[in-house]
Order: sequence, then structure tokens, then C-alpha cells
Amino acid sequence: MSSLDPGRKAGLRRELESLLGKSAVLSDPEELLVYESDGLTLFRALADFVIFPTSVEQVAAVVRLANRESLPFVARGAGTGLAGGCLPAEGGLVISLMRMNRVLEVDYENQIAVVEPGLVNLHLSWAVGPKGFYYAPDPSSQQACTIGGNIANNSGGPHTLKYGVTVNHVLGLEVVLPDGEIVWLGGRTRESQGYDLTGLFVGSEGTFGIATKIIVRILRRPQAVKTVLAVFDAVEAASESVSAVIGRGLVPAAMEMIDQLTISAVEDAFGCGYPRDAAAALLIELDGLREGMEAQAERVIAACRENGAREVRAARDETERQLLWKGRKSAFGAYGRISPAYMVMDGVIPRTRLPEVLHRVNEIVGAHDLRVGNVFHAGDGNLHPNILYDPRKPGEVERVVKAGGDILKVCAEVGGSISGEHGIGLEKIDYMPLIFTEADLHAMRGVRDAWNPRGLCNPGKIFPSRKACGEASIAYRPHPIEAQGLAQRF
Amino acid sequence: MAVPASFHDDLRRIVGPAHVLTGIECGPYVVEGRTPEAVVAPGSKEDIVAILMAAGEAGVPVTPWGGGTTMAVGSPPSRLGLVLLLGRLNRLVEHEPGDLTATVEAGMTVRTLQETLGRRGQWLSLDPPHPDRASIGGVLSANVAGPRRHLYGGCRDLLIGLTVVTAEGAIVKGGSKVVKNVAGYDLPKLFIGAFGTLGVIVEATLKLRPRPDADRVVVSRFERLKDAGAAARAVMASDLLPSALELIDGEAVRALALGPSEGAVLLVGVDGITEQVDWQCREIERLLEPMGLREAKVLDGPERDRLWQSRGTVGRDAFAETAATMRWTVLPSQVAECMEQGAAVAQRAGLGAAMAAHAGVGLVDAALGGGADVDLDRVAAVLGEWRALVRGAGGHAIVQWAPLAVKERVPVWDEAGPALRIMARIKAQLDPRGVLNPGRVMGGI
Repeated sequence: MSSLDPGRKAGLRRELESLLGKSAVLSDPEELLVYESDGLTLFRALADFVIFPTSVEQVAAVVRLANRESLPFVARGAGTGLAGGCLPAEGGLVISLMRMNRVLEVDYENQIAVVEPGLVNLHLSWAVGPKGFYYAPDPSSQQACTIGGNIANNSGGPHTLKYGVTVNHVLGLEVVLPDGEIVWLGGRTRESQGYDLTGLFVGSEGTFGIATKIIVRILRRPQAVKTVLAVFDAVEAASESVSAVIGRGLVPAAMEMIDQLTISAVEDAFGCGYPRDAAAALLIELDGLREGMEAQAERVIAACRENGAREVRAARDETERQLLWKGRKSAFGAYGRISPAYMVMDGVIPRTRLPEVLHRVNEIVGAHDLRVGNVFHAGDGNLHPNILYDPRKPGEVERVVKAGGDILKVCAEVGGSISGEHGIGLEKIDYMPLIFTEADLHAMRGVRDAWNPRGLCNPGKIFPSRKACGEASIAYRPHPIEAQGLAQRF
Repeated sequence: MAVPASFHDDLRRIVGPAHVLTGIECGPYVVEGRTPEAVVAPGSKEDIVAILMAAGEAGVPVTPWGGGTTMAVGSPPSRLGLVLLLGRLNRLVEHEPGDLTATVEAGMTVRTLQETLGRRGQWLSLDPPHPDRASIGGVLSANVAGPRRHLYGGCRDLLIGLTVVTAEGAIVKGGSKVVKNVAGYDLPKLFIGAFGTLGVIVEATLKLRPRPDADRVVVSRFERLKDAGAAARAVMASDLLPSALELIDGEAVRALALGPSEGAVLLVGVDGITEQVDWQCREIERLLEPMGLREAKVLDGPERDRLWQSRGTVGRDAFAETAATMRWTVLPSQVAECMEQGAAVAQRAGLGAAMAAHAGVGLVDAALGGGADVDLDRVAAVLGEWRALVRGAGGHAIVQWAPLAVKERVPVWDEAGPALRIMARIKAQLDPRGVLNPGRVMGGI
């Protein structure tokens, strides 16, 4: 719902066009529709403008304009987010960074790369691959998601068990602050002085400003990689094998679990070679030195066998390895074959609680008369229960939202978190009190206000809206799912 | 500064009279030449809440104190009132080996934590100096790490959850005890390297690692620092995966008792399963042989532990009387050259210098030799030239330890840049009355 009258909107359009060029400004309702949601289509909101800057100066100029006009603005990458984090406020500006997508510089000796935020994650590994390097954070959407978006959400992926998440690979950021000033946080060196603003900015979901240049670490490709598939007749046995591998002193590069429903979907779609009748499969990847790799694989295989694996085998070659990974990385797509829609949940638990929590997840989903497919990062306890549903059936959406909330409550109860990699965005703002006290949230708001005192930069995200007092400069408005009567405030 | 008399009574009420020191008893807790008005040792986070609220009311600044090992790092506090000892908060709150995480209270020493974890086959992959005294809270507050940071990362990479008490007496928790978590802002990052200016760390949750089967260090001697530096770069560009890569110049070689003060030494740490460690030791020698390697030996067990431990304090130990130490951050490719040029600067000024670097990370510990009658202006001039040199290489330099008279002549922190504005605003949000360790970090924050 635009708040702008037509005359003012026309004037702003002319001004934006003069700053960015005519082809870089969208304002027709039909064009704006493309940008009304991210990967979570349950939430939609229309901006007044979607713009496509190509330089930091253009971003800064637009942000200054937004400040002058008191218009909210939000940066957007590929829109692959799953929590509504890059949705505009009702009206305002969406600043798409997709035209700022270059690798600006690679310094192989110091193992760093300078990139623009719109660069697709995988394209960085492609760019440095010929020299034997890669960029480690690999979200499952890495073929589409951008590094700027990864910064906003501190994205993870299958290999975070050993290599960490985005923040562990970011050294410096050029940022347009919410008032339009351009500053550097961190830099090329491995340490900066003072407060770790770079570390804080990563994962701030676009509420601290807009990153326009990013300095990341690139890693040398490991000498050897070994991928093991372990097949189980019981989910519990698979869960226990995860802890057993760690217990043998190994930190694999990845440990992914895929449950039966997901295996069937993946086999229907791609035929990756997972046994259809298995209750669960673990995909365990080791990487590092060639020497000793076999010995480590033996330890992994023994740990899985001792914990009840029916079958354990290592991929014989790269083709087979890629096929096994294809099954894991394409699982979300495969759900499309067995259900008209699904909601990707994202919660984290201490990995030792896996057997118990998976059991409860299945109970919750069953109690709401729904089906769930589980495919997730077992090594770090990051669950992705994907609740399958049919939006055309009356009442199903409500049941999905309810079941999702119940699952997050379980994650919080066992000492986990309500998001491992997707962020809070709009989707989970009302679940924040499950894991944070009012004092925790107050401190976080204080930090947000230090960066973003006027609240124009991606407003309405992360924090539960307050009923009574309302936050400075952000008026209370009901959460979209609350407005639809689908959820209530805690 | 004068503290209201009733304030001491408040402290005694909160923690009990036995845990409040005043007057001459405060002697051991002098910070940068200043004696605190009182020293208080809380027994719980609730005590800390009460103390900070009382201090805020009375306008008394509070300086948190863990093991005291980094109290001389950074700018002297602009006002010193109360020293807050965290030593009584020293319990292991939780350790679940299967989760590879542990939650500990801030006052636990690094040594105690490592021993406790070690009994269950795990460790925290941080190896800061003075493990016997350094506390977990202090290590995080000063952002200290050791040689293994090369492979396993620093505090930022290992801290996943934190509980702090803010200046206004709120107990605030950030992060959690799971290794992957993006709910809300990553507040724990903010307290790393903040020197207690934003809140008092009371509890931390850390990522752990299984203890490796084998853990060694290859000590390689070179005739020239230049060759050792090239060797370090060759290791980085190879398939090797060392856990540590340390470049040590001649003076530091002597201080570490690795030989006479000539040439240079490269230390390559390797750990993991035995086959890998064996292979890496062989491969290091093979790689370095044609690069001017004079001799190589492999250390293990207590010898290795002693070497790593003395490496942590080599800056202060290099000279009978050290005039100052500095921490440089540069690109890894610039380390050897900066060390050489820095030593030349000191030599021109007639002073000794000793340097040791985490070469792969680009962190150099540079120490300047002194003597009782050293000319402080000359010391300050060298530090200033060092800073210019490091900046020229795209890095920054921080005075780590120096007499107050030197700190008055040379800014402790390097130029802050425009991001300082954000830091100051964060400080104002979390500590509006400015009572937590005021003046300690850059820009007088």
C-alpha cells in the first residue's frame, strides 16, 4: 500500500531516474509485483520503487534521498531468503544489488577476494577455482543466492560443521550507513581494532546498513575429499551415529541427514542412489590431506556400523559423490513432486538431543494431520523440518503455521535456537521471546538504534512489535500472519 | 576521585565484608599506576548486577579484572574507581562432549578449562599467553589468541554464546549453546576485544574440538629472516594444513632458547591423526630443503608445550628491560618485510628489537629493548616509525605494553576511521553513564 500521492511519486521517480538512469527504476505496480516477496511467499508487501544501483555512490545517494523523504528502504539480493527478511515496508524503496555483481579483486597469496554484494555465491568459487581456491560458505541455494544476502543472514550450509558460517569468512565490509555515509568496517587484514563491527554487521538482516563491497577469505581446495553414505533402518540410529563420529575425534566437513519421505521424493525426482526403504540416510563428508583420509573414513564407517547402520559405503568417484550431493541439495525441489506446497522450518538443537527432538517433530506434525520431510545439517543440529501442505485445502495453512510454532518451541526448550541460517525476518519476530528475555531484546534494540536511529533501514524486522508503547519511529502494525488470524502474540 | 563513604558499605552488604578490599589492600590491583578506591569480588552474576547498579548511582567507574594478564594493554582507564574481580565466578556450567560445546564462568582460567576438557578428550583451540592466570572472560575481552589461531581461528570463531551484565544492571544473553544460530544480532561478537567497556562478561559458551591424536611442531632454522619468510609463504601456498605458522627473528629465537640470536626460525605446528602428522612433518622438510633450510627438528610433548608457552610472552621476555611492545596487523605476505624494516628502524635508533609473528594470520609481536636510562622520546619515535611502516603496508599497529610515559607520547590505538562514530554510539546505548572501564579503547570510549 503506497503512502505516496501520485504527484510526489512522479517527482521521486524523476529524481531517482536522474540519480540512476531510467532503466534502473521500477515503479509500475506490475513490475513491482516481482519483488513483493522472497522465498517465503506467505508474506507479501509492495514497494513504491525498486531500484538497481551500480555503484556505492548511487546507493549512498539513494539512501540520502530516502532519509530526506523519510522513506523506508531495504536492500535485496536474489530474494532466496526464507523468512521475509528483504520485504519492503508497505511502500518505500527496494534497493536491488543484483547489478553490483563483480569480483573486484583476488589476492591469492593472502587468500582474500573483494567482491560486490550482488555476486552469486557459487560464482566466486567459479572465479577462483582455476587457481585451486574456493569460497567455503555454501548455502544449499548457492547457485542463486548472493554474497550480500549471505552477509545479511550470516548464511550457513552443509560445510559449516568444519568451516563455520559466513561471518567466519568475512574480513571487511564497505557499508552505506542508514544516513547515507560510506564507511569501512574491518578491512583486508585478519584483525581490526576496536569493537568487531564487521562481525556484528554480518547477520544483522539488513537493519544496520547496506554492504557494497565485501572482503572474504578464500581457501585452498583440499587435497582429498571422501563422501560416505550410511543407511539406517531407524532415525534414532542415524542420530546416534552423528554423535559417535564426533566421539571418535573427527570433525567431518559435513554430516547431513535425509529421512525416508525425503529419500523417496529425491529418488522419484533424480535417482541419486539412496535406498528407498531406508528410514534415514547420513551423508558424511571428510576433506583435507590425502594422507590419512582412508584411516578417517574407516573410523566413520565403524562408528556408523556400531550404531546400527544397515549399509555404509564411500562414493567411488567424483561422479558418484556429486550424485549423492545432488540428492541432498535438490531435496527441497523434489518435495514439489509429492506436495503442492511446503514450509521450510529452520531450528537448531544441541546435536545430542537429535533422537528425542526428531521424534517430537514427527508427533507434532502428525497431531496437526500433516506430513513432514526432514533433510538437515545433523552435524551442527540445524534442523529443517519441511511441512508439506496444500494451500487450497481450507485450514491447512493455519495448521502448518501452528505446527511450525510448536516445533520452534521444542527447539527452544532443549536449549537450541529458532533459526540456524534463515534469520528472523518477518516470519519469526513473534517467536523471539521463546529464546530471548526482554532485557536481551532491549540490548539488541539499543544496538540497532546505534546504527539505524531513524529506523528507516529495513524496519519492522527481527524484533517483536510492541503492543503498548511502540518503538521510536516504527509504528506498531500487526504481523501479517496475525492480521490474517493465523497466529497470536506470545 | 572521591567515592562516597556509603558506597563501600553498599559493596560490603552485597558481597560480604570479606570480599571487599579498600585502602592499602588494593595495592595488587593497581592499573597503569593508579590505585583503585576499592576492589570487590562478587560471587554471582546477581552480585554483579547489584554492584553495577550501586556504582552507576554513585558515579564510580568499574574496571573488570579476570586474571590481570592484559590490564596493561590498551589505553589506561581515564578514571579508576572500582576493580571488579571475576575470579570467584570460575565454574564449568555445562559440558556435553557430544555437542562439542562448553559453558564456563568468566573467571575460570584457561589452564583449568583445558584440563577439565582434556579429561574428556576435548580442548578449546585457543592458546593464549599465561594460561595459568588468564581467565576466559579476560581472553575474550582482550581478544587474545595464540599460534593455533592459524588453523582454528580466534575468539570470534569459537565464541557462540555470552552472558554479560550491562552497566545498567541488566543480565543480557546473546547467542546460545548451539554452534549454528542466527536468531537476533550476534551480540557476543561485540564484547570480544571490547575490554569490558560494554558490559561485564560473566559466562561464555564456546565451541570445542576433539583432542588430536598427535600434536608436534617442526622447528626450522634459516640463515636469513628473508628466507624464513619465503618459507612461510611457501607453506601457505602448499597443500599442507598446519595448525600454526610462526616466524621468529633472531632476537626472539634467543629469547625462546631456540639458539643464538642469528638468522631466523620458522615454527610449523601440525596436529591431527598420526598418519597426517607424520606426512606433514616429512613434507615440510622436503618443501623447505631447497629454500635455505639449515636444520630442522621436531618437538613433541612437554618440549612443545614449553615452546608454545614461551612464544606467548616472548615480547616482554625478549629483553632484560623491555621498553615497549607493539602488535602489528598486516597482510600475511608483508610480515617478513615489515619485521626486517622494523628491526632496521630500531637499530638506527640504537635500540634492540625482537619480533615474532603469527605469519599466516599477519599478526606481529614487536618488542623494543630498553634499559634503565633509555630515552623515552627515542622509544616513542621508534613506535611512531613502526606505525607508519605498518600503515604503509596496509595494516595498523597498537601499542600493547609500554610505560605510561611512553603511552603519553604515542597514541595506544591506531587511527580509528569513520566507523568510530558507530562504536561510540553503541557504547552510549549500552553504557549511557560511561561507568564501564572508561577511556580504555580507541577514541576514548
